[in-house]
This record gives sequence, C-alpha cells and structure tokens, in this order.
Amino acid sequence: MATLIIDGQKVHAEEEQTVLEVARANGIEIPTLCHHPLMEPHGACRLCTVEVIRRGWSSLQTSCTYPAWDGLEIKTNSPAVREARQVILGLLLSRCPGVPLLQDLAQEYGVTEPPFPTDDPEQKCILCGLCVRVCHELVKADVLNFSQRGIERQVGPPFLEKTRQCIGCGACTIVCPTGAIEIVLEQAAIYQEKPLGPTSAIYVPSLQAVPRVPVIDTDACIRFRQNDRTEGEIADACGACQMLCEAGAVDFTQQDEVIELNVGTVIVATGFEMWDPAKLSQYAYGQSPNIITGLEFERLSNSGGITGGEILTADGKKPERVAVIHCVGSRDHNAHEYCSRICCMYSLKQAHLVRDKTGAKVYEFYMDMRTFGKGYEEFYERVQKEEGITMVRGRGASVEVLPDGKLRVKGEDADLGELVHVDVDMVVLSSAIEAPHDAERIGALFGLSRSADGFFAEAHPKLRPVETNTDGVFLAGCAQGPKDVPDAVGHAGASASMALALLNKGEVTISPTTAKVITERCVGCGDCVPVCPYTAIALVEGKSEVNPVLCKGCGTCAATCPAGAIQALHFTDEQIVAQIEGVLAWV
Amino acid sequence: MAEQHRADVIVSCLHGRCPDLIPALQEEIERRGLTTEVEVVESGCRGLCAMGPVILLQPEGIFYTNVQPADVPELVEETLIKGRAVPRLTYKEPLTHKDVCYYEDIPFYNKQMRHVMHKCGMINPESIAEYIALDGYQALAKALTEMSPEEIIAEVKKSGLRGRGGAGFATGRKWESTRQAEGDVRYVVANGDEGDPGAFMNRSLMEGDPHAIIEGMVIGAYAIGAHEGFIYVRDEYPLAVRNLNMAIEQAREYGLLGEDILGTGFDFDIRIVRGAGAFVCGESSALMQSVEGKVGEPRPKHYHATERGLWDKPTALNNVETWANIPLIINNGADWFASVGTERSKGTKTFCLVGQIANTGLIEVPMGITLREIVYDIGGGIPGNGDFKAVQTGGPSGGCIPADQLDLPVDYDSLIEAGSMMGSGGMIVMDNHTCMVDIARYFLDFLKEESCGKCTPCREGIRRMLEILTRITQGEGEMADLDTLEALARTVQNASLCGLGKSAPNPVLSTLHYFRDEYVAHIEEKKCPAGVCKALIEYYIIAENCTGCGLCRRKCPQQAISGEKKEPHVIDLELCIKCGICHDVCKFDAVGVR
Repeated sequence: MATLIIDGQKVHAEEEQTVLEVARANGIEIPTLCHHPLMEPHGACRLCTVEVIRRGWSSLQTSCTYPAWDGLEIKTNSPAVREARQVILGLLLSRCPGVPLLQDLAQEYGVTEPPFPTDDPEQKCILCGLCVRVCHELVKADVLNFSQRGIERQVGPPFLEKTRQCIGCGACTIVCPTGAIEIVLEQAAIYQEKPLGPTSAIYVPSLQAVPRVPVIDTDACIRFRQNDRTEGEIADACGACQMLCEAGAVDFTQQDEVIELNVGTVIVATGFEMWDPAKLSQYAYGQSPNIITGLEFERLSNSGGITGGEILTADGKKPERVAVIHCVGSRDHNAHEYCSRICCMYSLKQAHLVRDKTGAKVYEFYMDMRTFGKGYEEFYERVQKEEGITMVRGRGASVEVLPDGKLRVKGEDADLGELVHVDVDMVVLSSAIEAPHDAERIGALFGLSRSADGFFAEAHPKLRPVETNTDGVFLAGCAQGPKDVPDAVGHAGASASMALALLNKGEVTISPTTAKVITERCVGCGDCVPVCPYTAIALVEGKSEVNPVLCKGCGTCAATCPAGAIQALHFTDEQIVAQIEGVLAWV
Repeated sequence: MAEQHRADVIVSCLHGRCPDLIPALQEEIERRGLTTEVEVVESGCRGLCAMGPVILLQPEGIFYTNVQPADVPELVEETLIKGRAVPRLTYKEPLTHKDVCYYEDIPFYNKQMRHVMHKCGMINPESIAEYIALDGYQALAKALTEMSPEEIIAEVKKSGLRGRGGAGFATGRKWESTRQAEGDVRYVVANGDEGDPGAFMNRSLMEGDPHAIIEGMVIGAYAIGAHEGFIYVRDEYPLAVRNLNMAIEQAREYGLLGEDILGTGFDFDIRIVRGAGAFVCGESSALMQSVEGKVGEPRPKHYHATERGLWDKPTALNNVETWANIPLIINNGADWFASVGTERSKGTKTFCLVGQIANTGLIEVPMGITLREIVYDIGGGIPGNGDFKAVQTGGPSGGCIPADQLDLPVDYDSLIEAGSMMGSGGMIVMDNHTCMVDIARYFLDFLKEESCGKCTPCREGIRRMLEILTRITQGEGEMADLDTLEALARTVQNASLCGLGKSAPNPVLSTLHYFRDEYVAHIEEKKCPAGVCKALIEYYIIAENCTGCGLCRRKCPQQAISGEKKEPHVIDLELCIKCGICHDVCKFDAVGVR
C-alpha cells in the first residue's frame, strides 16, 4: 500500500489508484470536468491539475491520470495550481460563456468575465470527451468521436450526419457536464411516453416494493438493446450498474423463468389498472404535460420521484392554481358506470399535499363526496375549513389548453346553478380504476366469473365475499372490485384465512358424487372440458379425465358427452333406470 | 553484385530536382562507349541542397554542383575522358566566389563530421550490396554472434548516445529499462515522423541509407528481447517508404531480418506504418496510438513507454537517426563514439540548415560545435546585405537564440539553458530583415493548426496567444498583452498534456526574453523594426537613390507609384497595399521601408 501526502495530510492509496481517487476518498475536493469514475481517465480538460512533488522534482500534473505512487507529495491548491486553473477556466469560459457550470467554477478562481473574445456565444461543448468515451466504453455503439483537430475539433457522429448506429440511449446527454448534447427524437419510441414513469432502465418498482430490489427494463437498457441490435455481437455494452454495485448483485445473465408449483389453494389478487383518460377527449389528457392522472401525481409528489417530491409543472415552476377533477371515467355512461370508490379520498389527500407543499389554490370539481371510511368525513371537513380548498359541486366538464399554456377547466356549479370556469397551471384527473386488461384470461384459468363491471365475481355478495365458485380459489383486494387500502387489507386478510383454513386441515372433504370417465369409450373429443363450470375436466393424453376434488357432480359433462363415456357416480344410467323401474314396479 | 568500374559518377538529390540528369548521363556514357568503365550511381542526399543536383566523381573526388542535362556532354568529354575538371561546374564559395574543385576541400563539408550520413550520398540506397560493401550489417553480425544483449546495452550506455528525436533521453538506459520491464512481448519502434517545417534530416536518412536504420533496429531488438518492430514514416515521404520497404525486403532475402537471423536463432521482423501527416504523431504517445490503429492523439505518459508502450507492452521508441547510430557504436566501439562531443552530449548530430543562410542544406556536426561555426563556416554566412540576428532550433516548438549567443555550444543541455531545444534538428537562420514577433506568430500559427485539440491549454491557449501576437503585429497591441501572453505561455507550458503543448510557448517565451524591445516597438511606437509587419510599415522612395527608371511604377499592381522619367518617383500611400514588389524590383536600393 502506498502512502502519500496530499495538502499536508498523510493518506494511503490502493494499487492502481490515481491521485484524484485518493484525494476524493479522503474528502479533498479537486475540480474536474472531463473525469467520470466509470470511464478511463482522459486528462483533457486539465482542470484537475495539481502540483506533484516526486523525488524532489515539482511539476504540474493532472490528478485524474497520475498514479498515486508511494512517497508523492501533492498540493491541490498551491499558487501554481491556482494560476493554471484560472487560465484554463478563463480559456474555457471564453469558449463557452453561457455555461453556468463554467461560470461558477471560473468565479471560484476569480474569473468573472470571459477574458478573450468569444466566437460563438451559443457554444456549450468544452470537448471533454465524456460523450465520446461513454459511447465507446460503456454503450459500445461508437457513434460519437472527435473530428478535425486543434481549435476546429468537434464532436459528432461520422461526417456529422444522422446515423442509425445511434441507439438513442441518451448516455451522452447524461454524462455531458455542460448540457451541450440534445437528443432530438424522430420516433417517440425511445423514451418512455409518460415522463412520470420510471426514468432509468434500472429501477426499484416502487418505494414500498417487497423485496426492495431493482429491476432492469430490458427494452430501455443500453446493454440489452445493444445486444439485441447486434444479434449478440456486442453482449458486453454498458454494464455501469454492475460496475457500480458494490455488492456485485447485478447479474445480466438472469432470465425470466416459469416456476411450476403444486398448491392447494390460490388467492387471486391481480389488482386493477388505471383507466386511460385519453379515451374521453374533453379532458385533453396528453395535450399538455401539466394534465396528469392521480397516479402520476402520486409519482410526482413522491420523494423518490423525478422532482424529489416537489410538486412542479413541466417547466419546473411551482403551480399557483391546481384543479382536481373527480369521477373521470367513473359514474359515466360513456366510460365506467360504477364508482371507483377511492378517488374522492385520494383527491382530497392530493389537494392537501398541494396546499402543503406549494401553497397553490386548489379547486375540486366533484359530483358527490363519498367519504365512507373511518375518519374520512372529518378529513373532508378539515381540508375545506382549515385548508381552504375550493369545492365546486358538479362534474368538471372539460379542460382546454390555452395558447399561453395555462389550462382552463369548465364545469357547472350545481349549488350556484351556473356555468363556471377556472384557469389553472395543473390539472389532476382522478381517473377511474378498472379490471386489468387480461382479467378475462385469468378468469378462464381459474374458472372465475366476472361481474358486469369486469371485476371477478365473488361466490356471494354478502355471505361469501372472498370465495369464488371454484373451490380453493379466493379473491383478494381490487381483483374483486374497487377498494381503498384498509378495505383491500381486510379483504386480503379474510382471503388468507380461508386459504389457511383449508391448508391447515390437510385434507378436503369431497362429495362422493362425482363424474367418472369410462376411458374405453372416450374418443377424446373434448366437448366436456369447456362445459364444466368447475374446471374439473381436462384432456390428458387424448382422454378426458375428471379431477374428483373439483368435481361437484353436477352431471353437465355426462349429459354433454356424445359417446356416453361419462357417468355421474351414484347416479349412473343403470341406477337411475333401476330406480325408475323400482318406482314403476309398484304401479 | 556491383561490378568493378574505373570510375563512379555518384549523382545526389533524390528529391527530384532534375529527373532527366541520370538518363542523360547514362545515354552519353553509352554513346561514348564507356559503359563498362564508368558506372552512374543514383545516391542519397549529400546535404548541399542549395546547389543540387550535385555529382561526385570517384575516385578523383571532383565535385560538381548545379549539374543540368545540358552540361552532360562537356562533363563526360572533359572529366571522364580527358581527366580534367570543368571549372564552370565546380563548387564556388557563396560569399567569396572562390573556386573549390575537390570534395574534401569544400568548407561546407570539411567542418562537418559525417558519421551517420556517411553512406548517404555515397551508395545507391536501393542496393543492399553497396551497403554491405561499406561494412554494412557487420555490426549486426558482431552483435548477434559475439555479444550478449547485456553487453550491447552496456556498450550503448557507455557510448553516451542520447535520443536524436529531441528530448535527448539516454538510449542505453531506455533499452535497459525496456529489457528489464515486466512482460513477455516487447517492441522496438523507429520514429520517422519528421514534421518540423524546414526539416528533412530523417527523410534524407530514410531515403539515402535505409539499411542503417534497419540494422540498428535489429541490434536493438536483440538487445531488449523484441521480435517485432515498426518504422513510423509519414506518407508525405513516399520515397522514404519505398526505399525502406525495398531495404526490408532485401534484408529478409539476405537472412538479416525475419526468422533465424544470420542463423543465430534470433527472430525479428519490421513493419512500416505510414502516418497521415499530423505533426503531433511525432510525439511518442500519439505515435504509438497511431501505430495501434487509433486516432493519433497523445495519451498521459506517467508510465514510460519502456514499461507501458505500444499495446501497453514495454517499447523502445527511438528516432531513426538514433537507430542509425547503433551500427557505428557496435562497429567502432563506445569509446570511439564518445570521443566526439561534449561531456553530456556525445557523437554527432544532423541538422537542417535553412533560412537566411548561404549554404542551405543538411549537415552533420560533432556535438558541442558552436553556432558560429555552423552559421559562418559551414553555412557560409548570411547572404545579401543582412546581418545575423537569431537562429531557431528545435523546430516550431523550439526557441530563438540571438546573435550574442553565437558561441553557444550546440548540445542538448546548452540549448535548453538558452531557452530552446535540440529537437530533431531543424535550424532556421534569421537575419535582421526578420521580425521576431512575426516569427513567433508564424510558429504559433503552425502549432495552432497542428495541435490535436485534446487538451484545453494547448487547444485554446495557443490560439489565444496567436490572437494576441497577430494583434501586436497589426499595431493593435497593448503592453498588458505581454503579461497575458506570459501567463498563457506559462500555463500552456506547465499544464498541457503532451510535448507539443508543453513546448509550444517556446517561440513566444524565447523571443520575449531575447527580443522584448521588438515587441515594445510594435506596441508603443507602432513600428516593426525589421520592416516586416505590413500594418506597421510603409514603403517610400529614397529620392537620392532613385534614377527615375520607372520599373517600380510599371510593376506596381495598384498604380500607386508615379513620377516623370529620370526624376525621383513617389509612392501614393493611400493606394499602396504594401506588397513590396517595388522594393524587390528596384535595382538602385531606392525603395525604403520604414
């Protein structure tokens, strides 16, 4: 292990560390522009210049490239170093006078104005080469490089022309210290359509996620995209997450896998999806980035979100007025007729958050206020009386994007009996929740029926709210119908209890009256399979087979079978005929 | 193999000054039936560029200059048949016009010490046989059969040979650390990327004596344990590429290169890498990047190339002239080599003597010779009516050394002390008609174009220094500019990534140091003392000299000169564009500059 002295402080260095790395590890800050810990040192901007005293010789060296050799003495802030940095920053500021980062750095070294005339006041590129290196070293797309030399040097794709080699990953824009690179999208496919969705290709699905581990979105991940695009030729692009992960937990070789389990009971907790408010054009969803859904608002106000929890409009300002429109897609003959139940309360909560975080004026357009839970009514009272939320009784009828970007919400105030409108900076649509788009498929899998609203039907609306018509299959949460959190928790608890009760018993009691296939007669036509209301029949190796545990002995299959190959036990044709004969014999 | 002839006509100047001369000679010799007696040899550079093409007639040693095809019949008749010199063609001292007939008597040559360039201009570079005839590859045989690698390195160390490319690092030490560096693969590289304006030492060597470089490299490879070597040549030197390739082919044929060299079991081969002509590729790390197939840009050099060079393997990178010195050291011994030169600079060094000097050309002198000897004895002094003012050594990034340092010995350390450097051997002589501010501006303009642009100080700093110098030459400078210039120069020098940037401020710093008064004259008096900077001068007619011949009036592109016949003329300064044609055409020194 090497020992060196930095600014009079004795520090230790690992093998192959640079002076910059050692300094930073010991809390000594050295300014850099062209350095990035994930990339090869470049030594181009020269800002990290320090004075190195080695074997009695003093020289200026770039700390990002200089090996932390044993016995070095380093001065990171000597007069010679400061002069060099001052001149370098003066030169860079003259090149790019409009870059705030350079202005700030130059200011630190006493340079307030560009000391030399500027060629192009719009110039932002300082030629640090981070974009070139990230494209070469991490992305391995090799789209960007330098061309020309000296003062003509510039960065761009070959011949400065558009190239299909660019996969539009945007890595260059992320590493660029001066904001000199902009990606102009020609096809919107590259970025997430919704700016409030996950913003990087690796993310923790939600802050409450269990287990709390990140996932990689392989459609957005540079590595997987490069791999796909080159048919595996570049399989080792990027990998920044893997390099950074100290626990070594990122494994790109992991594949999706199907796990087959034999289980005794199943709880269907497939939840809900947000209804897309773009389906009702009057809400102008998608026409302005400041018209967002309730779920997007949750993401925005979340401290793990893109603004760190600040509630801001798309241009980064705090809104002054916010409108919340209830029942978007709920209680509506043109969308869902049912009440989504949760929107009233979350809308009030969001109004409270807006007031609390921004002080903006909030308008709630509502039809009826459904504060059904414990303490809900009190909260409703509080936001009205203590926080001064303006309640407008009447559905918000339309949202209009004004030329100046403001949003005009129109509606009827039923209490006043007149049409009203309000111009706001942000509109939150409390859009409906609906059954997942693939509920049909899930239903078919477990033999579940669905109620008119699309959610799974329970066995009995009052007496058996978590059971289904299929034994051992239970419902939990919004899969059964819209619920707020306490209701969903209660429902799920009940469901779990039912499942556990069955499991605990270790065996199931079944009726002896079940269907039986007479295998020799079965031709394997399969007609019996779909008619079974309990999904008790399946074709196994070309023959029907009845699962006696599921079978309720209803006899539908027996009646359907064209070959007469299925009999309901204890109700065989012979038995019934014998019974009939027994009765008739008396006559 | 070459046949024995009575006489050799050795023609020098492969740079195409006169492509018809050799055919004309051969034709005439055949016509006179001398084919079996006389051989015409096309040879490499003999250095006296101002007077090329030159012919050396052996064995007599008669030396002819400026020979044209029309001179051939007389030359053959008089010299080859009758054995007399043609006085019209012999060498004349440029300043005294003294006639010198024999090669060995010419002052340009007899103050020189042509060791490395010995065979250059003597042999046909296309013939390995001629090289071998002059003891070629003898050193290789000796090294491979009689010496161990350690002995070779010890011999080179003892000789005191230092790198001829500019920095002057001790070659023996470089080899030793390459040999001792960890790793199984090692490389040797010859730097032939000569990029300084006005320099052609390496070119002449590669063209005129390619085998010397190859022989040196094989010995070096054997000494450090390398099996692969590269010669980096700029593609602007097509003849050098051709001759080197030809030499490599021949050496392979003769078993002097390739597998099992001279039956000793040692394998080594050389590949030529052609550079695309970027000046910065002469810098070692940029050169190696270029050999690796990457963009020729420097990389940080905290680890020496001897440890992490080409493809991060230990690499001995030397200038072609350094390599060409190796066979001499092995053949003649380290003591012989070290007997020439100064305490810390041994041997000889080639220079390209250009600028305001009578004998422009390629010279080879012992280290420690004074600038005065070079300029006045070898160079023949300053032509015309100029006075010596300064000499720029070390190429564009070297410095200017003023007249009062003419007795400075030319060696690595003295030149650095004087604010310049050895460089690869450019030497530009300037007289009092040279403006030092303009010279600094000129070199910075070159460096601005040649800076690769990777690091901030070099890319942006040179350009800003150039802007300031341009302003000064246009009469718009301020005294504060000099401080800015010095601060910029300091940072560019200390904080740049590679040697190009680190040495780029030398022209500015050395002229500021030695010729500050010229800068001040430009700034405060708005005058260019040398009469060069157009914005600061005006042409005028010296009435007492003017004969009224009217030549200037007729030649003036702007019709700015008027006057009656036989009466002194006048220049209308409103119309004058300061092209200087009047000054150049006047036969009576009647056009002055002020």
